[in-house]
Amino acid sequence: MSTLLVWKEQLQKIYARFSIYIVKALQFILGLCVFGLINSNIGFMKAASSILCTLGLSAVCAFLPPIVMAVAATILILLHFYALSAPIALVSLAIFLIMYIFYFRFTPRKAWLILLTPVAFAFKVPFVIPVAFGLLGTPVYVVPAAFGTIVYYVLHYVKSSASALKGGGTSGMAESLMAFAKQSLTNREMWIMVLAVTVSLLLVYAVRTRSVNHAWKIGSAAGSIAAIVIGAVGNVTLNVHLSYGALVFGGLFAFAAGLVLEFLFFSVNYSSTERMRFEDDEYYYYVKAVPKIVVSAPEVSVKHINASQPKGAPAMPKARGREENVDHAEAADDILLTRSLTKELGLGKLDDK
Amino acid sequence: MLDKNRIRLMTKMAKYEKSQAAEDLKISSYYKKDYASLNTLITAIWVTVGYALLAGLIIISNIDALMKNLTIAKFIIVVSIAVGIYIVLLVVYCVYAGSFYKSKHNRAKQRVKRYYRSLSRLGKMYVKEKK
Repeated sequence: MSTLLVWKEQLQKIYARFSIYIVKALQFILGLCVFGLINSNIGFMKAASSILCTLGLSAVCAFLPPIVMAVAATILILLHFYALSAPIALVSLAIFLIMYIFYFRFTPRKAWLILLTPVAFAFKVPFVIPVAFGLLGTPVYVVPAAFGTIVYYVLHYVKSSASALKGGGTSGMAESLMAFAKQSLTNREMWIMVLAVTVSLLLVYAVRTRSVNHAWKIGSAAGSIAAIVIGAVGNVTLNVHLSYGALVFGGLFAFAAGLVLEFLFFSVNYSSTERMRFEDDEYYYYVKAVPKIVVSAPEVSVKHINASQPKGAPAMPKARGREENVDHAEAADDILLTRSLTKELGLGKLDDK
Repeated sequence: MLDKNRIRLMTKMAKYEKSQAAEDLKISSYYKKDYASLNTLITAIWVTVGYALLAGLIIISNIDALMKNLTIAKFIIVVSIAVGIYIVLLVVYCVYAGSFYKSKHNRAKQRVKRYYRSLSRLGKMYVKEKK
């Protein structure tokens, strides 16, 4: 465990040092996942579905604010849908506009969260989203999670019935419009997953904010189990075809992801918990203080051993000692400057809302 | 000469200028009430558009069920339910938007105030250095 904590400290140091590059690299990887999945699953427009387009969009979006990636993904989806059939593009545009109007107008900076949900669904680990959002976010994160689920199922439906949806004449277009709108909005599997994600996220958040010991672990487990149970109940009552194996695997993976997130963002030592009781004129206070686990990463120092020392240099150690003192003072100044800058710029707040 | 405090202050200010300053200055040029009212009105318009889209989608997807045995009474009931939901949604969003934009204006105003304070501190630092 202590080795892992040391690794975590070292990771934090590396992140603090190279945060600009790491953030851009993560943005690029997310872009690759999002645009790659869109192009590989619904790449109906040949020009836009090339690997060059995927790479180019990912590279461009890596250097722009995350909201741009969400907008680019929306436009790419609409282009592919338009290549397949105009009514589908129209209905999808209406769905995206509804999402924008009712939620993203208020929090444009969190619009990129909607991208994570379809990616998680595509990788067959959908329950990671409610667990991660519940642990690191607020109940409002339900909205991007639910919208992301709807987007995934719309894409999934178009992918699986592309040949049937391909438009013909004017009457065919009207029929296609109605059929697609009906299928998109009355997909029972989609609504079950929306319910599972919503309930699971709220449950994880509710448990995680309690003051019980191991709240994060209990929250992750409760959220994963709730999601599996809702999926299974939906399977039985609404006669949908969610695979039990996939549900259980998704739940277990979500729990494991919850443990990793707890280790990274909430490592505390419950065995040293202190409980205090005190009072003032108006209240009695019952305080529970849980200490954080703090491990400092060992500094690597390189010692140079000289093979031979010239005879006529007895004053050398003294001079070197003074030089080292000067270096230490400069290093301490540098560390203090770095710390204060990090604090002021908010680089240390990983869960910045 | 390099002054660490000045560098810190300038870095903080540059970060703010890069990210939020333009929007904050624009927001703080309005009175709080004007800003909140204007944006609530815009929200009301957007909610109307969004509701029309949503209602359109629902109607399109259930057109068969709606047209089946359609009578005047059924039509009036459906329309009144739709209008009722619209009014509730509009009121909820307008109330939320009002408080959201008021707090947004407050936050922007505070940040701008802090920025101007930093500017005057920076000016004083330069004056002190020249002496």
